[in-house]
Amino acid sequence: MKRFMLMFLFAAITPCAIAQDSAAPSSGTPPQGMRGTPANLPDISLIGVIDGHVSSEKSDDTRNRLEFNEIETAFQGYIYPEMKADVFLALHKHDGTYESEICEAKVSFLRLFEGLSAEVGKIHVDFGKLNKAHSHVRSMTDQPAVLTNFLGGHSLNPQGGTLKYLLPLPFYAQLQAGAWQGAPHEHHVDGERTAEVTDTGNNNVDVVLAPEDSSEFSPADKIYTSRLNASFPLSAGTELELGTSFLKGKGSHYEHHKDDVKIAGADFTLKFWPTTYKRLTLQGEYMHLIRSVPVGTFKRDGLYAFANYRLSKYWDLGARFDYAENAFPDITFERDYSLIATRHLTETTTLRAQYKYINLSGDKAKEGWIQLTFGLGPHSHELE
Amino acid sequence: MKKILLIAMGLAFCAGPAGAELKVITASTDLKYICERIGGDLVKVESMASGSQDLHMVEPRPSMVFKLKKADMVVRVGLDLDMWLDSLINAAKNGRLFYGQLGYVDASAGVPLLEKPEGKVDASMGDIHIYGNPHYWLDPANAKVMARNILAGLKRAMPDQTAKFDANYAEFVKDTDTKLDEWTRRMAPLKGLKIITYHSSWPYFASRFGLMVAGHIEPKPGIPPSASHLDSLLKKMKAENIRVILTESYYPRKGPDFLAGKTGAAVVTAPVSVGGEDGVKTYFDVFDHVVAGLEKAVAGN
Repeated sequence: MKRFMLMFLFAAITPCAIAQDSAAPSSGTPPQGMRGTPANLPDISLIGVIDGHVSSEKSDDTRNRLEFNEIETAFQGYIYPEMKADVFLALHKHDGTYESEICEAKVSFLRLFEGLSAEVGKIHVDFGKLNKAHSHVRSMTDQPAVLTNFLGGHSLNPQGGTLKYLLPLPFYAQLQAGAWQGAPHEHHVDGERTAEVTDTGNNNVDVVLAPEDSSEFSPADKIYTSRLNASFPLSAGTELELGTSFLKGKGSHYEHHKDDVKIAGADFTLKFWPTTYKRLTLQGEYMHLIRSVPVGTFKRDGLYAFANYRLSKYWDLGARFDYAENAFPDITFERDYSLIATRHLTETTTLRAQYKYINLSGDKAKEGWIQLTFGLGPHSHELE
Repeated sequence: MKKILLIAMGLAFCAGPAGAELKVITASTDLKYICERIGGDLVKVESMASGSQDLHMVEPRPSMVFKLKKADMVVRVGLDLDMWLDSLINAAKNGRLFYGQLGYVDASAGVPLLEKPEGKVDASMGDIHIYGNPHYWLDPANAKVMARNILAGLKRAMPDQTAKFDANYAEFVKDTDTKLDEWTRRMAPLKGLKIITYHSSWPYFASRFGLMVAGHIEPKPGIPPSASHLDSLLKKMKAENIRVILTESYYPRKGPDFLAGKTGAAVVTAPVSVGGEDGVKTYFDVFDHVVAGLEKAVAGN
């Protein structure tokens, strides 16, 4: 970790000095993050998400409500040549109460040297395709179960830094590696429930169970991540992206559980644009979790497959299949089928409906979701 | 060690040798055409968007990052039309292309802007562009400004080729003036013609040739037409005897066809960029098609 920090600091300082000397006069319209320049203000924006759902599960005390789920405010701008700061503060509802959170707060070194960039701060980790994406950017009202079960109910966003390198290959390929410190007990994972189970040596031992009504789990403590993704244009209107990710860390209650966590993932995204406003997206992610606790090691799998068809400038139709096991010793699974319809009102405002059939280890439920997402002001995210 | 060296050599070979020509990426095909005219055989130009795409809605792809990574210069439309280019430039980590650097060209610099909003701007006005209407390339006279910006960028990148670029620029300006005279002459009988357009893409074109844009199929920029809006347009078209609907080739025909069916107006489907329709191979072809389409519509009426 120390070596990583020293290398990063050295690399960060050097090119910025060069960048300052090479700056040339410019003209025209300022790009994103520089619109507030005349008033010396950053780009300030707000994203609001209002949603609600009905459910056949009568014990679901969050059903039959339409309410503000999340407000994300963003402050974005340049702080130095080739250095950008993006701060996203979120206020979201969890278990009936609003909680504030630094969703992301990062400084991006856009170019340390040719092909290499870095980010430091509290960041949505680039693990797979969807963890990086903020909830309002996703084409669905909820996140796939595998992300909740392996990475947390909200995106895994620990503190640390990451280096990203565009490989010198004749196609797009990016390799990145990050070192992070994840806070324990984040994402509301409750570690109070235990049970006696038989370990691999036929001994009875106490293990921590999944919290009540949730199989949410999140890596914590020192986390190391890596990701390699590459993209291949198959034709003028077709592009295939393949990615593989790896994570090593501890569990969110590592001080009690003494657990080590490894997650490996593979993902693909195929996009096909037949005409200007039509687009077919096929996306899938598979994750394999290995969690080692003193009494043994258990392995869990999870995946989702998502298809989305943009049939016009204003409409998207999608379907998603989820399968995810939990990250706890007493194995449960979730198998869901979702149908999603999205109406794009403007570039920043969407109205979405989602039907979800849930199978939680045999307990079945049906949900119907409605979600209104709106944006105020200039808001941008890096390429996802 | 040998293995590492061999792999490194292999990778270097895959990355391709550095060529003498300048690699330029443009946001649109119109900019590509102009860039190729000014740069001649000294440039290799690729456009991010195709001619049939709506420049508001281009979806960034990783393969675009790859192209930008290798580029010496990027030419953008600017005025917030190609905002998708920002995330691509950042992801490419190519220091030459960052805002203010030698390889960054905003073609809109110095263009006299229309529909620049005054006072408070918000989404109640639709997807409004805060710096002004960005469809400035649809006034062919603005091509000379765009070309001048590109010329300056090319000169910065290849100062030893200044004379060649200047000569190419002069030739492009001459061709533009010649074509502009022709279109002005052909459009003269249409001066004062009231038209309906789908999106507010044509104010520069209308201003250049004296057309009057009486309304849009979209009630506000980016907002889909409602039945009540189409009804009000229908009444307006009947009351003011508006007989021509001009629509961009990528927009749906449902609204224009509905109005045409009720009023007998002609629908002119026009490319807004090079490659926007079959046979539209140059920037000048765009206007040849639009002018011919309008002439035919008026003659038919």
